[in-house]
Amino acid sequence: MTTIDESTVIAEQETDYGTPRVASDETATVTVDGREVSVPAGTSVMRAAAEAGIEIPKLCATDSLAAFGSCRLCLVEVEGGKGTPASCTTPCSDGMVVRTDTEQVQDLRRNVMELYLSDHPTDCDGCARGSCEMQKWARATGVAEVRYGLDGASHLADTTDHSNPYFDYDPAACIVCSRCVRACSETQGTFALTVDGRGFDSRVSAGGTDFLNSECVSCGACVQACPTDALTERSVVQLGMPTRSVVTTCAYCGVGCSFKAEVQGSGEDTRVVRMTPWKDGGANEGHSCVKGRFAYGYAAHDDRQMEPMVRDSIDDEWRVVSWDEAIAKVADGFRAIQDEHGVGYIGGISSSRCTNEEVYVVQKMVRAAFGNNNVDTCARVCHSPTGYGLNHAFGTSAGTQDFRSVEQADVILLIGANPTDAHPVFASRMKKRLRAGARIIVADPRRIDLVRSPHVEASFHLPVRPGTNVAFVNAMAHVIVTEGLLDEEFVRSRTEGTDGYLEFIAQPEHSPEATESETGIPAPELRAAARLYAAGPNSAIYYGLGVTEHSQGSTMVMGMANLAMLTGNLGREGVGVNPLRGQNNVQGSCDMGSFPHELPGYRHVSRADVRDIYESLWGVTIQPEPGLRIPNMFDSAIGGSFLGLYVQGEDIAQSDPNTQHVEAALRAMELVVVQDLFLNETARFAHVFLPGASFLEKDGTFTNAERRLNRVRPVMPSRVGKDEWQVVCEIATAMGYPMSYGSAAEIMEEIAATTPTFAGVSFARLDAEGSMQWPVTDAAPHGTPTMHVGQFVRGLGQLTPTVYVPTTERANRRFPLVLTTGRILSQYNVGAQTRRTPNSTWHPEDVLEIHPSDAELRGISDGDVVELSSRVGATRLTALVSERMPAGVVYTTFHHPVTGANVVTTENSDWATNCPEYKVTAVQVTVATEASRAEAGEAPEAVSHDMPVGAMARHRR
Amino acid sequence: MSGDVPPVVRLGHDLVRNFEALPPEKAAEEIATHIKKFWEPRMRRDLVARVRAGEVDDPLLAKAAEDLLEGDVDREEVKEPSGG
Ligand code: SF4
Ligand code: SF4
Ligand code: FES
Repeated sequence: MTTIDESTVIAEQETDYGTPRVASDETATVTVDGREVSVPAGTSVMRAAAEAGIEIPKLCATDSLAAFGSCRLCLVEVEGGKGTPASCTTPCSDGMVVRTDTEQVQDLRRNVMELYLSDHPTDCDGCARGSCEMQKWARATGVAEVRYGLDGASHLADTTDHSNPYFDYDPAACIVCSRCVRACSETQGTFALTVDGRGFDSRVSAGGTDFLNSECVSCGACVQACPTDALTERSVVQLGMPTRSVVTTCAYCGVGCSFKAEVQGSGEDTRVVRMTPWKDGGANEGHSCVKGRFAYGYAAHDDRQMEPMVRDSIDDEWRVVSWDEAIAKVADGFRAIQDEHGVGYIGGISSSRCTNEEVYVVQKMVRAAFGNNNVDTCARVCHSPTGYGLNHAFGTSAGTQDFRSVEQADVILLIGANPTDAHPVFASRMKKRLRAGARIIVADPRRIDLVRSPHVEASFHLPVRPGTNVAFVNAMAHVIVTEGLLDEEFVRSRTEGTDGYLEFIAQPEHSPEATESETGIPAPELRAAARLYAAGPNSAIYYGLGVTEHSQGSTMVMGMANLAMLTGNLGREGVGVNPLRGQNNVQGSCDMGSFPHELPGYRHVSRADVRDIYESLWGVTIQPEPGLRIPNMFDSAIGGSFLGLYVQGEDIAQSDPNTQHVEAALRAMELVVVQDLFLNETARFAHVFLPGASFLEKDGTFTNAERRLNRVRPVMPSRVGKDEWQVVCEIATAMGYPMSYGSAAEIMEEIAATTPTFAGVSFARLDAEGSMQWPVTDAAPHGTPTMHVGQFVRGLGQLTPTVYVPTTERANRRFPLVLTTGRILSQYNVGAQTRRTPNSTWHPEDVLEIHPSDAELRGISDGDVVELSSRVGATRLTALVSERMPAGVVYTTFHHPVTGANVVTTENSDWATNCPEYKVTAVQVTVATEASRAEAGEAPEAVSHDMPVGAMARHRR
Repeated sequence: MSGDVPPVVRLGHDLVRNFEALPPEKAAEEIATHIKKFWEPRMRRDLVARVRAGEVDDPLLAKAAEDLLEGDVDREEVKEPSGG
């Protein structure tokens, strides 16, 4: 089992340089207190001093925010200069000589500090605990006592705001340095906080209400920035300060933020005190969202299943057994099915929530121990069209840029993605760029936050009707080609299939005017948007599941690739085609050979040269034909030709479309094995339950949406006694194929040795470099932030005529509305984790958003329980009448099993990858009658009226 | 309801809709290549059997099944990475 390094003792080891790093080719050399230091020109004196190892006292400055210069604690003397400038706002100039410790400076600082302390509680818990910096600076400035007296006017009696479930705001400890206010605007981009009042009366305020009811999205940036105890994690108040820390990676979304898990205790008694965003994290650069920052409590939740369990029939009670017995039951059961029916009657599903190493081992178990290729991963139901489409066009199944690239974008074309909810930390980076002047085109049926929110105003909102994406992207390309807006040099020198494509796309049927009735986008708007995208000069496409989860998901991905190639927006910073991947390791799980037709590194099983690599290493024969995809497994199960399934950390019964069909398939199987943290919906149909480990217990890597391999490091040993990869190895071994590794690092060694794009990856190198973006090869030993520079991976880029084929799932008389699905900020996918945290404060149930006119027509009012039905099923939800929806389209999330959004979604799927068409289901919505309620059992609770009305609940408005 | 259509035929129809804008010969080959590349052999056999039994009335799908039987697929394309 994984060994845990508990040696990292938390100290003030993360230097706060006071002001952000400056990028400049020129350097300035300055002398601070006799020490010479060279810094990029434009660097503040404060930062230069910090780099020379000299810490200048500061209150209003921190290196995640632009200098503000308000507290006057950081004064210095500059030789030959006048007065005592604030070091945070004074840029270094070459040859400057600075003194930080003269008597005059010390006197001034002492005065400032005394003033601050006169309005700071003497019994500040934070000072005692070490979570408040005041004590430290008092000591540093030599303030032993406060001369102004504590009995004057103060804010010490102000009451604490406990409304946010994760942090408290205690105005008494606030020094109005405005770091929180600036963090909320600069870092997060939400502008929820203001400084109200003037002078002594000024106070930080969450828009005049409490935090929960404000626009606050609970990202934690203000808590991180606060130098005092005014904003403190509730967990720190309750548990005290952490004693050691481990840098690891968030296990929620595909942004892949790095965090410092700060903990107390050791071994099995380890307790997480808080997760703080890691400044050096390549994906997040010190920022976080409410999920990664606060919603980790599920890992210690009582619902967590800690022991293996078995039962003979799904109607029996579970029986707790030893690991040995459970593993024997799995191995014997699978072998019995194969002996009786055939090798191909069993298979496995790997999870995008698990590490690369765990996923690799699952596909190895299937190919080597099961002896077939029946392995698939949950990317099947989200981003498989991304892999297919981008590979087809460019030769790589991944996004083209790193996240930082957005800082160079001039025009952002956002399609079918809602980053402020689903990829919040990247959204903050995007919003920062938009505030700096970049423009954004939003193509989405809903009026998402990025259409209009504080300091963001989309140049165009194109409300593309669900199911018509390809018609839309073709119209964009048509304008670019027929109006001569293309980058001819790029198209001529870097693409193929060019003539055929140009001829195809210039046909009048693709014009905005011809497609307007289909897409719902006014032609003049679309033309103007296409011109803006073509004008760039740097235009970048970002997209999400609103692109992939369609019957033409793969075609649409190729269509966007066409658009980028036509305009030359590839192969440099600020451009590209960028999938915002859903799950933390969806990129990685695909890379690791989880698809039934491809070995690791996307190499088809029919290639003898590739099979050779694995056959000689593993000592088995690998089937040269593809195996079953997830939906094929279900169909085969119902047809009687698939009887045993191992499912790693995925809740197919809740997340996959057409729940009745999935349940029928699971019921038809003889042996279903679920490995998970919780007894999820799928476990209702399982015969063996194997307890899983949480990310806090894992050693390994996740690969985020920018192809970045981040280390996942365990903060405690597996609470169930085994690592997940170890369990998989033991199943394989019990089936007669011995499989074992000494550590997760060894698994990565095997991946690197067999997969060219990962050749240079190892845990040791990742630990040394922080993170790396694949391909990591001899030619790119530190990884590849931007792909396709100068040449595409496949050589020339492939322009493909993207024929628009309307989905067969059309609104009709019986089902006149179109349902589309998505997710919201506070919850994550099927909610297995977030529902087990206070995040449910913001989203206690899934609701159905419906346009006022559609609601009125049906006599539906806000808060009514409605029945949502499609041709495959019906469910009930609470209605939310919302102007965000276009007429004719309704929307819901799928975070709660009770509402079962997938009861109504259909078996339709992307033609190429079978990614389900979640985003288009023809439905009818009616007010639920008593009879229909009784039939379906308990009605969902009506909207509770003490719900927060702030930004997190905005979907309700 | 499409639930009554055998899964392989439903999936086959999806491919037909996507490729039918191409000339028929080319379309059939593309469909056959796709099936060769992504479908598990039992599914392929199921489709071919249904075509032979006259259960598939779509001529393009029937032609694709024939191509498949005769190995009329783009073998180079089958080996190419797909990533989905
Ligand atoms: S937690 Fe809320 S108030 Fe604080 S920075 Fe984030 S959004 Fe702003
Ligand atoms: S943005 Fe994604 S990866 Fe980052 S903290 Fe939030 S959920 Fe985790
Ligand atoms: S830290 Fe420089 S003025 Fe506050």
